[in-house]
Amino acid sequence: MPTVSVKWQKELYPAVEIDTTQSPYVFKCQLYDLTGVPPERQKIMVKGGILKDDSDWSKLGLKEGQKLMMVGTADVIAKAPEKGPVFMEDLPEEEQVVAVGHSAGLFNLGNTCYMNSTMQCLHSVPELKSALTEYPQSGRSNDLDQSSHLLTVATRDLFNELDKNVKPVAPMQFWMVLRKKYPQFGQLHNGSFMQQDAEECWTQILYTLSQALRSPSTSANLDTVKELFGIDLVSRVHCAESGEESMETETVYSLKCHISHEVNHLHEGLKHGLKSELEKASPSLGRSAVYLKDSRINGLPKYLTIQFVRFFWKRESNQKAKILRKVDYPLELDIFDLCSDDLRKNLEAPRQMLRDEDGRKAGLKLKQKNTSSVDSDVKMSDAEGPSTGSGESSKATLGEAVASDKNVQLTGVYDLVAVLTHKGRSADSGHYVAWVKQENGKWIQFDDDNPIPQREEDITKLSGGGDWHMAYICMYKARTIPM
Amino acid sequence: MDPEPNNKTASGTGNPKDESTLKAPSKDPKKKDDKKEEDLSEEDLALKHQLELYVERAQDADPGLQKVALESMRQEIRTSTSSMTSVPKPLKFLRPHYGTLKSYYETMADSDLKKLLSDILSVLALTMSAEGDRESLKYRLLGSEGDIGSWGHEYVRNLAGEIAQEYSKRVNEEASVDDLIELVEQIVAFHMKHNAEPEAVDLLMEVEFLDLLVKHVDKTNYKRTCLYLTSSARYLPGPDDMSVLDIAYTIYKQFEEYPSALQIALYLDNMQHVKQVFTSCPDLLRKKQFCYILARQGLSFELDEEMCADDEDREALQEIINNTKLSEGYLTLARDIEVMEPKSPEDIYKAHLLDGRASAGASVDSARQNLAATFVNAFVNAGFGQDKLMTVTSEASSGGSSNWLFKNKDHGKASAAASLGMIDLWDVDTGLAQLDKYFHSNDNHVMAGALLGVGIVNCGIKNDCDPALALLADYLDKEDSSIRIGAITGLGLAYAGTQNEQIRDKLTPILGDPKAPLDVIAFTAIALGLVYVGSCNEEVAQAIIFALMDRSESDLGEPLTRLLPLGLGLLYLGKQDNVEATAEVSKTFNEKIRKYCDMTLLSCAYAGTGNVLKVQHFLGQCAQHFEKGETFQGPAVLGIAMVAMAEELGLDMAIRSLEHLLQYGEQNIRKTVPLALGLLCISNPKVHVMDTLSRLSHDADSEVAMAAVLSLGLIGAGTNNARIAGMLRNLSSYYYKEASLLFCVRIAQGFVHMGKGLLTLAPYHSERFLLSPTALAGLVVLLHACLDMKAIILGKYHYVMYFVVLAMQPRMLLTVNENLKPLSVPVRVGQAVDVVGQAGRPKTITGFQTHSTPVLLAAGDRAELATEKYVPLSPILEGFVILKENPDYREEA
Repeated sequence: MPTVSVKWQKELYPAVEIDTTQSPYVFKCQLYDLTGVPPERQKIMVKGGILKDDSDWSKLGLKEGQKLMMVGTADVIAKAPEKGPVFMEDLPEEEQVVAVGHSAGLFNLGNTCYMNSTMQCLHSVPELKSALTEYPQSGRSNDLDQSSHLLTVATRDLFNELDKNVKPVAPMQFWMVLRKKYPQFGQLHNGSFMQQDAEECWTQILYTLSQALRSPSTSANLDTVKELFGIDLVSRVHCAESGEESMETETVYSLKCHISHEVNHLHEGLKHGLKSELEKASPSLGRSAVYLKDSRINGLPKYLTIQFVRFFWKRESNQKAKILRKVDYPLELDIFDLCSDDLRKNLEAPRQMLRDEDGRKAGLKLKQKNTSSVDSDVKMSDAEGPSTGSGESSKATLGEAVASDKNVQLTGVYDLVAVLTHKGRSADSGHYVAWVKQENGKWIQFDDDNPIPQREEDITKLSGGGDWHMAYICMYKARTIPM
Repeated sequence: MDPEPNNKTASGTGNPKDESTLKAPSKDPKKKDDKKEEDLSEEDLALKHQLELYVERAQDADPGLQKVALESMRQEIRTSTSSMTSVPKPLKFLRPHYGTLKSYYETMADSDLKKLLSDILSVLALTMSAEGDRESLKYRLLGSEGDIGSWGHEYVRNLAGEIAQEYSKRVNEEASVDDLIELVEQIVAFHMKHNAEPEAVDLLMEVEFLDLLVKHVDKTNYKRTCLYLTSSARYLPGPDDMSVLDIAYTIYKQFEEYPSALQIALYLDNMQHVKQVFTSCPDLLRKKQFCYILARQGLSFELDEEMCADDEDREALQEIINNTKLSEGYLTLARDIEVMEPKSPEDIYKAHLLDGRASAGASVDSARQNLAATFVNAFVNAGFGQDKLMTVTSEASSGGSSNWLFKNKDHGKASAAASLGMIDLWDVDTGLAQLDKYFHSNDNHVMAGALLGVGIVNCGIKNDCDPALALLADYLDKEDSSIRIGAITGLGLAYAGTQNEQIRDKLTPILGDPKAPLDVIAFTAIALGLVYVGSCNEEVAQAIIFALMDRSESDLGEPLTRLLPLGLGLLYLGKQDNVEATAEVSKTFNEKIRKYCDMTLLSCAYAGTGNVLKVQHFLGQCAQHFEKGETFQGPAVLGIAMVAMAEELGLDMAIRSLEHLLQYGEQNIRKTVPLALGLLCISNPKVHVMDTLSRLSHDADSEVAMAAVLSLGLIGAGTNNARIAGMLRNLSSYYYKEASLLFCVRIAQGFVHMGKGLLTLAPYHSERFLLSPTALAGLVVLLHACLDMKAIILGKYHYVMYFVVLAMQPRMLLTVNENLKPLSVPVRVGQAVDVVGQAGRPKTITGFQTHSTPVLLAAGDRAELATEKYVPLSPILEGFVILKENPDYREEA
């Protein structure tokens, strides 16, 4: 009976006797006692292979004191999970969108970047999307012309496409319908479509949508687009010469930010934009006179659109020239001081609540700290403002949806959600790009078919002053507070 | 120099300068030119007249007078001293009389006097004779053959130069060279005595008589001599280099410098020499050191009784050669450096350092990214035996989510299972126990991975029980081709370089099997190539050649077919001319693969030789432009790197040539250039190569970019290089959308942090002198697979990535005591300095820092002991080094 030593993992079992008259299975049972590895899972290395249960010991040429090696574990055999994991590569495309975290890009169909960037910006308004989904295929009002209807349907379909795809979408249908409705976008130059002004495109599409989405059935007032984007202005028109004064109200879809030498910041530009001079016939003087028009905001929209008036008609060169001046704009905009007195009164309460809430968040720290550091705490709460606020506002829109807008109050504070930029020297040339904040808080630059992630800091760097992309249209979203 | 025509002006200019420094330093030397002789000092003038007198007397009829004159003349020449830059005065004054003496010499009758004059003429010819005349040598041979050194160093050197010219002339004319050799012997003896070993070696090489050297080396100069011999061997054409190294081997052996002798024997791949080293060294401890050197080379070597008589000792030695203690040493290093803590792929990606660009933690797993994580995890935790994905038990892992293995898809599971082998690298016992449970899996991919894992864990380790062969052999003939490939590749990795006949017998039939699918055949060829790497084994070559010939036309177009010629090439790795017969056969192959095969064979055969002609040949191949995609230029570009990687100068030249290829080459060349750069600087992140690759990693062509990204990983492999890590991090956000490129970036990140920075992939070791053939073979297989990234690495054969395991080695210096237990001693680690041909005892490292062992060595680093207390048994401090107590050491009071 030769004795061998058996090596198993890091252990060595010296002097294991082998009964050569018995089958190797008996030997394996011996090892089972030593190691706890069941015989069927033991693999014992002998010359030229593994010891089989029915091998003949005599043929293996075992030597006294030979070292054998045994491999095997009593571990549980790894089992594949019942349900294998789902891999992104296996998912249908629409589900991949969720994983990617942003929607698709749009192919440029030949100088259509102005349209692409406009649509990407508008696409980021969930309320508009949901209003469009409710829009019936058949058309709901008779007074709407066919092309407007088609454009609305095309917009709806395009938004759907964007949500479903990861790969870029070609907005063919939309582009055709848009040209049909607004033939000026179909202008040709040297056989190809011309670059157009994105602002014009924006305004026209919004106008069409406001026409189409006006629901005649319920109440005449329910105009989705107006509710989302409309800014009520109340203007005092005053004539210095005659001392005449009158009040006017109007609704616009965007505020203009006029750019002059004094304007360095969006706020200053907006103030300029709300004051204008106009010449009209004065009933008292019997001739035309210069009137000063001073507007105030009387009704706030959910989405505040601001247009930088960067283009002006340059007569000598016969083209729209661009003002490259740098105009800073904030990620968080407060337009309280542009509001009318009535509106201010209404805003007082919600604003107080907003402050309280911010205060409460900072308050925790206040208690812990000495009273001497109040200043720094205030700063801290300011710094915290945008991030927490934006989180809330996006949550509000996600969760509470559109219907429950009665319960929430506007505060006059707005957060930047989309920027449409222009790069180049004139409105009809250059390149338009949309920079849109996604629902997960990340910024994506939609450069036609190529979505590129961006950092929030870089978004405020689009304020102009060079040849880089500069903001042309900014869209702010209202920060609301539940009442 | 042509002194005859401007004789006078030369002496004129030489003169006044001496004067001016002596007497009137303020005077303008130019003026002095006109005054010539008048300006000589009195001493000089006296000397001049004296010499003129001697010249006159020497032509006197009276032999007595003649003799006196000649002897005085000789005396003057010998005793004269001069600065390095000017001609000795006696020689200068005798110059005008050289012609007279020469013509007088012709008229003289043979006598001692004639010989005396001949000696003097020989010396005078040093400055006088026209170039190419070799008059110095001529008169020397006619002269008295006295002590050569008495005429000074310059004379000897001049003579040596003339001998070299004369020798080549005479050999051409097939004239006798005996008289020259006699002279050579004198010169060599003189040089060797005067610390001018390089000159002696140079002269002997010129006259092809190196054997003479052995007689003249002694204890004081043999090291410098051998150093010069071994480094010059790199630049010699074959077979001269071999004979030069042979001499060095003989000298080392003669002076009992066995480790160096062994290294040369390994370089020559001469097993006979290796055996001799073992048999001629009586000391067991030194033999153990030899075994460590053999183990590092990755050589399979069986000791016999002649080499070590005692059975027990032999077993101990064999254990070292079998590398069984590698894992232990590596873990000692890891513990000392405190990097035992396992790292997860996220620790490597460091996504938090990327500001907001990385996509938010995707909720859905991506199979490709999980596969990348599998590889990164395997490479980073290689050899540590623990990680955060594979070895954690499922209940311990947070969230109780299922095993990481099953987070991989299909063939991805193979790589995941095999990664266990990588994590337990070199630790066969633990590794096999870990892999065992997967043998019972019913998933074919998991099985295949477990088989491959067995191969990986056994890589470079030999075990008497042959567990790899025993475990894998049963699976070679399974139905499922992925299982077969797993077993075949596993065998190839485990037995690389062993030339194990059992494996040949098991694998060659697969090559001939008409039913075997192409991928099985391709991996069989590679496995055989690895097992028989550099063996020139004809049977294996035959089998692969037949397999190649049997392929159908459509098979030849498949991406995996490229592995067949490569397997064939590996058989001849570094064997130069031996490939010729097979290369001839390859010319008969199908046109589709003929050229490809030719390039592959050639590049393998001359790999690591530095053969400039071959590099030029490959460059020539790359200069051609083709209309449609020709594939053979890929191996040609890799060939440049494989051949040129031998030594630093050629390597730098190759890098520059590759830059040119980048400018002018077609796409198929451009996409290979990054890979070639990666091979040239493997684990050696040179800044300019890094910049080139960084530039290419943004290339518009995605294949170029992918290759560049992977190569960034290769040049930084195991270095933790912060710059490359940063580059790759930025690339990961740049390519976050492109799954394939992101995959490459991840793999490269895994490479850079390989073994948490303790490993190297460099096939060169022992101060860049020795090349481990298995290591190179592993790298070459990976690079060839990268030639078609899409089909192989990004397809379902990603496990070829595990071939790098062959090249993985700890980049450490671990000093052990006489019982082979780790011993911590202070060492200086610094940049290695080339001291070849330098006199005295120059510093061998610069900019050093003092650490205590074990220490990490970067590329180009060299270590030296900072204590006198111990004596290392190997002159090269790398890997395992045994220290012996210094008997002469005295503790400082």
